[in-house]
This record gives sequence, structure tokens and C-alpha cells, in this order.
Amino acid sequence: MSTTALPASAARDRRINWSWVGVLPFIAFTLFFLILPAANLIVGAFQDANGAFTLKNIVNLGQPAIVRSYVLSLQVSAASAAAGVLLGFLLALAVIHGMLPRWVRPTLMTFSGVASQFAGVPLAFAFLATLGRTGLVTAILMTLFDFNIYRAGFNLLSFLGLTLTYLYFQIPLMVLVITPALDGLKREWREAASTLGATGGQYWRMVALPILWPPMLGAFLLLFANAFGAIATAYALTGSSFNLITILLYAQIRGDALHDPNLGYALALGMIVITGVSNGAYIWLASRSARWIR
Amino acid sequence: MKTNGMRLTVSVLALVASGSMALADSMDDLVAAAKKEGTLTTIALPHDWCGYGDVIAGFKAKYGIEVNELNPDAGSADEIEAIKANKGNTGPQAPDVIDVGLSFGPAAKAEGLLQPYKVSTWDTIPDSAKDAEGYWYGDYYGVMAFMVNKDLVKTVPNDWADLLSDEYANTVALAGAPQTANQAIQGVFAAGLSAAKGDVAKAGEEGLKFFAELNKKGNFVPVTGKSASLAQGTTPIIIAWDYNALSWRDVLAGNPPAEVVIPKTGVVAGVYVQAISAYAPHPNAAKLWMEYLYSDEGQLGWLKGYCHPIRFNDLAKNGKIPQDLLDKLPPAAAYEKALFPTLEQQAAAKEVIAKQWNDVVGAEVAK
Amino acid sequence: MNQSRIIPWIGFGLGALYFLIPLIATFEFSMRMERGTYSFKAYRIVFADPGFQASFAYSAVIAVLTIIVGVALVVPTAYLVQLKLPRLRPVVEFLTLLPLVIPAIVIVFGYLRMYNSSSILPLTGSARGTDLLLIFAYVMLSLPYMYRSVDTALRTIDIRTLTEAAQSLGSSWPRIMLQVILPNVRVGVLSGAFLTFAIVIGEFTMASLLNRPAFGPYMQLIGANRAYEPAALAIIAFAVTWACMGLIQLVASLSPGSKR
Repeated sequence: MSTTALPASAARDRRINWSWVGVLPFIAFTLFFLILPAANLIVGAFQDANGAFTLKNIVNLGQPAIVRSYVLSLQVSAASAAAGVLLGFLLALAVIHGMLPRWVRPTLMTFSGVASQFAGVPLAFAFLATLGRTGLVTAILMTLFDFNIYRAGFNLLSFLGLTLTYLYFQIPLMVLVITPALDGLKREWREAASTLGATGGQYWRMVALPILWPPMLGAFLLLFANAFGAIATAYALTGSSFNLITILLYAQIRGDALHDPNLGYALALGMIVITGVSNGAYIWLASRSARWIR
Repeated sequence: MKTNGMRLTVSVLALVASGSMALADSMDDLVAAAKKEGTLTTIALPHDWCGYGDVIAGFKAKYGIEVNELNPDAGSADEIEAIKANKGNTGPQAPDVIDVGLSFGPAAKAEGLLQPYKVSTWDTIPDSAKDAEGYWYGDYYGVMAFMVNKDLVKTVPNDWADLLSDEYANTVALAGAPQTANQAIQGVFAAGLSAAKGDVAKAGEEGLKFFAELNKKGNFVPVTGKSASLAQGTTPIIIAWDYNALSWRDVLAGNPPAEVVIPKTGVVAGVYVQAISAYAPHPNAAKLWMEYLYSDEGQLGWLKGYCHPIRFNDLAKNGKIPQDLLDKLPPAAAYEKALFPTLEQQAAAKEVIAKQWNDVVGAEVAK
Repeated sequence: MNQSRIIPWIGFGLGALYFLIPLIATFEFSMRMERGTYSFKAYRIVFADPGFQASFAYSAVIAVLTIIVGVALVVPTAYLVQLKLPRLRPVVEFLTLLPLVIPAIVIVFGYLRMYNSSSILPLTGSARGTDLLLIFAYVMLSLPYMYRSVDTALRTIDIRTLTEAAQSLGSSWPRIMLQVILPNVRVGVLSGAFLTFAIVIGEFTMASLLNRPAFGPYMQLIGANRAYEPAALAIIAFAVTWACMGLIQLVASLSPGSKR
């Protein structure tokens, strides 16, 4: 591997040294601008209002209302992440490999950039103005097709509605994040596969998906965490009815009614732990499928 | 005897004269010291809330002091946290003064975050709305009201019980989430007060029951009500503080036409309090700001924003309120029945409403 | 052959419908400011405000600086993790996900405690210092997106071979990074850059509490408690941000080494 004239051990030492030096800026940065500022949160989770050490906040996390909150948040996050990964993938695929006009791809990329960060309040409002009871699409469907979606059982202020709204930023995020991987999927491989007699399905199963699987898994994790931590959209759309964990957190840390920041910090700590666990699950899944890929 | 009496009178007169001179002197000193500091940092003061836009502009014009406005979107908890986080900071990120909900005053005092100051008009502030030692003091109040979009709602409701009528399907919303926002919790409390016929102790529970029924009938919309959602049609009736509703009504300027109604029963007043941060980088500017807010000029500024200033009764008694301003407000009779919940009553109601909302009202939506 | 050409069009079409209709609904509402007729009144009010240009320009500059710092931080790290330090990957990925779940307001209060005027590193003591703090805050906020995009891009190229080839030709590390790796992960960096730009333009909490004249606090000032102006503002912000991204895209496609 090494082409230098140094003895192997010295060369190895030098390589390892440089690698660690190389990641030092990142470690230092996250330490000083992410971990330490948030340390207050971790310490506060174990304190009571007077600053004394207590496990009461952690124990309180076991309250049925809070557990239900976590479960609900996990469900919404998983649903919007799964749908986002699938639909975003299909959209990116259509645009990158679908031989559409050349202007489509940069348009989609730049649009996705903006849409993925569309703030919660205007987004919720946009969906209320579209699919709410007095929304544009609702009205059009009623006047043109005499079809009342609300009478048919649809309700924007529901799990489905919230997921649908979340997709507005999940799908663009997926598009942006999977594009580099789809770019790497060379057209020649498709052609080579079909010359060797593979069907479309076989191409996907044995060539494309194994290559795309790790980035897709990573994207799912990102979308999941993204939805998990989202607050503004949920609050603006279904704030008083959908008890997501971020709303509970918001109530304790920022709200102007209840004010138990220590419980809020414990809730946040719980969220961090869940993120860590899902990260671990992703690592495990990725390593298992690594066998399949190689 | 006569000389003694004369001596007494002269000495009393001298004392009074020196006292008022001292007051005038100290006010001048304060203005000079504040001007030397040059800046005031405020937090959580949206320009449309209680006419703060004009109040701040008036302060700037009168004293030539810069006003540095932080995060107008902050809630009471954020303001407290901002003081704590800026303890060693004398930069422009540290708030000098805060304007928080009633219950946050004593809490902040207990944490040692405030410094006491008694404005020159201290005595005209009702005792129930201030801290005896001067750490926090009520600034304005409003009562819970209905804001109605007249384009979409034909009959304007007059009282809480009216809201249960079938014609208000999918119309009624709160102005926040009852788990987090004081405005929403007080809305539930007011409904409960009406249902409990004035029994404050039962108001929390009765409020929850009322909203449970409202939700079951399909009249309740679980969206945060704002002027945008009122105009767009999702929340044609919003339960909010009267000053918010009135200012939204003005901003909408008839598009759509909106009416603000104070319910016949269940009238709940909400008091906010002012305080100076113990770590204020500009303490003199902060004190001058307080003097300004509690002067007639400042109090009337809030009244223009539809908030009832805490010295309202005093000002009314002395005929200081212009008639045209009074005419723009809802009739004074509606405010006479207002209940000013004590700290304990508020805390008890919050406890019940915020914690049990999800279970009792069950507005948790299905898949 | 024909069928497989229609399907991508259908996919694109459905996607376009889903994304454009809510925007159209918002636009329709924003035009309703004048009763009984459609007009641009809400837009005129927004544009008349002098703060619009100043705050947008400020945020745009901060965004570009954030992108530069972010790329400088993330690309070498992702590269080293993939090539040399695979065991560090779980740690790094976990760290990059944290900004998504830790509330921004907790972090900014942490900054105020750690970097205020009486601490060792008094960043908040000066305007430029606070700007720097804000940039670091935004780099941190955009970390999840930048890292994931760059990491995905790095996977698709064979960095091992590329590095060895460059090394055997005598390249130094900086040269490898700048002239071999970076051009090849251009697409990933661009995705990350778009996301970062959008984050910085719209961010409100940190800019507001650190007292910087950014676009987010400006939008809040205009839009709070109003009905029609926020809708107009949302459309305007969307359009202007989209245009800026188009500019970034243009600059990137003009740079040497790009194929498209």
C-alpha cells in the first residue's frame, strides 16, 4: 500500500497520526459548539428546581401520557421517513435517470433545497389553505366533481394529514441526499446488465439496490431524526390535539403556562437516547447488509 | 402653642417641598444616567401586542435612548431563561426588562433574577397586582373574548353556552395549545367559570368538560387560531385575549369584518407583570423605562393597544382617558364582572387543564 | 420504450402537483388582501419595508460563509472516516444527528452562557464576534444535512483508489482534498450547500436571541399577528431563496471540473 521508502511501522504511525489530526477540527467544533452548550440540558435532566441531584425527572418519563407521546412521535417520524424515502427516491430516479429535459434536474434540486426548509407556520397554513375544510382543493373538488373529501372521511387534522404535511419537507430532503448516489449509478451498468440478459427487476435486485442500500438507509435515519425533532409544523397544524413529544418539550421549556424545565430536559434527553438507539440500529442493519453488498 | 403649630406646619411644608424637589431631582438624575447608558434591551415585545410598537417609539422619541429589541416571539419562560443565560453578559443579548405572565413574577423573584424598583406612581397600582417589595408589578390586563369572522358566522355568539349550538360546527378554536400557552389555558378556564356558575375551584374541570363536549359535537377546531386562520376560514371563531382580538380586527380592516365579543358570563382577566433583571446591563435605562410605562403617557399607550393598563381605574377617576379611546374599547360594563384569579387559583387551574386536556377532551385524533 | 419514457414524466408531474398546489393556495390567499378583488397589496407592503433588502443581504452573506466553513469541516472528516477511521463512524453520525433533536433554543442559551462578555472567549462582546458565533451555530444546524450528502457522495466514488493514485503521483494532502476529492463530490457538496442556504435564510431563534439583523427575525416582525402579509412573505422568501440557489447552481456549474 505505502509507496514511501520509510519502514512500514513508521509509515503506519504517520498515517494514523494524520487521520486523527484531520478529524480534530470536527471533534473540537462539535465539542465547543454542540456538546458543551447542550451540556446544561443533560445536567439539568438530573436536577430538580433547586439544583439538587434527583432521578425524579427520569422516573417521570415513565408516565403513561409521556410514553404515549414518545410512541406517537416515533410513529409519525417513521411513517413520514418511510414514505419520504420511497417517494423521494422515485422522484429523484425519475428526474435523474428518466431522460427528462435538461432543465428539470437543476430545477428540482434548487426547489428541493427551499422546500426542505419550509418553516412550520407557513407550511401548516399552506396545507390548511389547500386541504383544510375551507381549502382550495377541497373547494375545487366540491364544486367541480361534487366530491366532499371530508364527508368521505378525510381530515387534514389527523395522523394522515400531519404525515402528508411532513412529506413536504421530507421528500425534498430525500431527493437532495440520494442524488449523489443515483448519480453514481452509471447508465453503462444498466446497459451491460441487459446485454448480459438481466431483466429490469434483476438489474435492480442485484446491481442497483445493493449499491443504493447503505445511502438509502442513511437517508431514512436522517429523515427519521428530522421528523422526530420537528416542532413548528406540528404545533401550528395539530398543536392542541396531537401530543407529540416535541410539543410536550416545548411546553416545559418554552411555554408560558407550565414551567418545569428540568422535566423538559429529561424529555430532551430521552429524545437523544432514542436517536442514539436508532443510529445503532442503522449501523447494525448497514453492517448486516454489507455482506449482501460485497 | 401657636409657634409650635407654626413650626410644625413650616417643617411639614419644608419636608413636602424637599420631598417633591427630591423626587423631581431624582427623576432628572435618572434621565441623565439613563441617557448616559444610551440603550435599553427589551425582549418578547411584539409591536402589535398592546400597542408596544407605539409605546417603544414614544420612549425613543421622548428620551433619545436606543431600544434594542430581542426575540418578539419569546414566551414568558424564554424571558426568564434569557436572564439566566446572560448572567455574565453585558452585551446586547442580555435583556434589561421583562414582561411576563403573573405566575412568572414570584418564580423569577425566588430565583434571584430580579431587582426591585418602585415607580413614582407605585401607590396607584392595586396591591393584588404587585409584589410588596417591588420586585414585580402588574402592567396591563385583558379579558378572554370571542373573535368572530362575520363573513362566515351569521349569528354572533354572546356567551360560552352559545358555542355549543349546532350552527357553529367546525368553527371554534383556541389561540394556542392548552398544554403550553397561557392564553389557551385561560380560555378553557373562562369557559369553565361560566359552566360552574362562578365557582372558581371547579372552573378547571368544568372547562375541560365543556371543551370535551364542544369537541364531541364537532364544533371545536384543534388548530391554533390566528388572524390568518380566521381570515382564511379554518377558525372563524377564536377564543383569545380581548386586546389580541381587537388588534387583529383592526389589522384585518374589514377584510373579513370581525366582531369582538366579551361573553356574558365567565369573564376572566389575565394580568401581566413588568420586572427589571437583576443583571441588567443598563439598570438606569430600565428604571426610566418603567417610569415611562407607568406614567399616564405610557399607560394610555397600552390602552391604545386595547390592553387595560393596571392604573386604569385611577386614570378613569381623574378623567385622564380621552373619550374617543374609551369608545373604541368594548363597553366598560363587561369588565366589571371580570374575575382576577389569584396566583393560587391560576396555578390550580393550570395544573388541571394542562395535565388532563388530552384525557378529558380526547381531541387526540384517530389514525 | 415509449411506456418507460412516460412513467418518469408522470412521476415528475405528480411531484410537481404535490409541491406547487400548496404554494398556489398560499399565493391565492395572499392576493385577497383587498376585499372582493385580487391585488398585490400585501406584496407592496412587504417590499416597501426597507429592512427587507438589508436583512436578506445579511443572511445571504452569513449563509455563504456558513457553507464554506461547513464544507471545510465536513468533507475532510467524512473522507477520513470512510477511508481511515471506520470505527469512528457511529460516533460521528450520532453527533451529526444531534442538532436535529436538541432544541435550538437550548443551544443558543448555552452559547450565551459560554461565550458571553465575561467568559474566556467573549464572542458576544462584539458584533463581528457574535456574527462568528452565529456562523458556527448555523454550521452546527446544517451539519446533519451536509454530512449525509457528502457522505453519500463519497460512497459512490472509489476514494481509496483515487487517493492512492494521487499519492503515487506525489500529491500532498491539501492537494488531494482540494483537487481530487472535492471536485468528485461536487454533487453532494452542492446538495448540502442548498440545504444550508435555506436553513440560514429562514432561521429565527438563534439570530433573534443573539441579536443579529437577519432575515428570520425580520420576517417575524412583519408577519406576526397579520393575516395576509405573512402569506405574501412566505411566497417572496420562497422565490428569492430559490433564485439564490439557482445562482449557486450556476456558479458551481461554471467552476472547472464540472461535467454538467
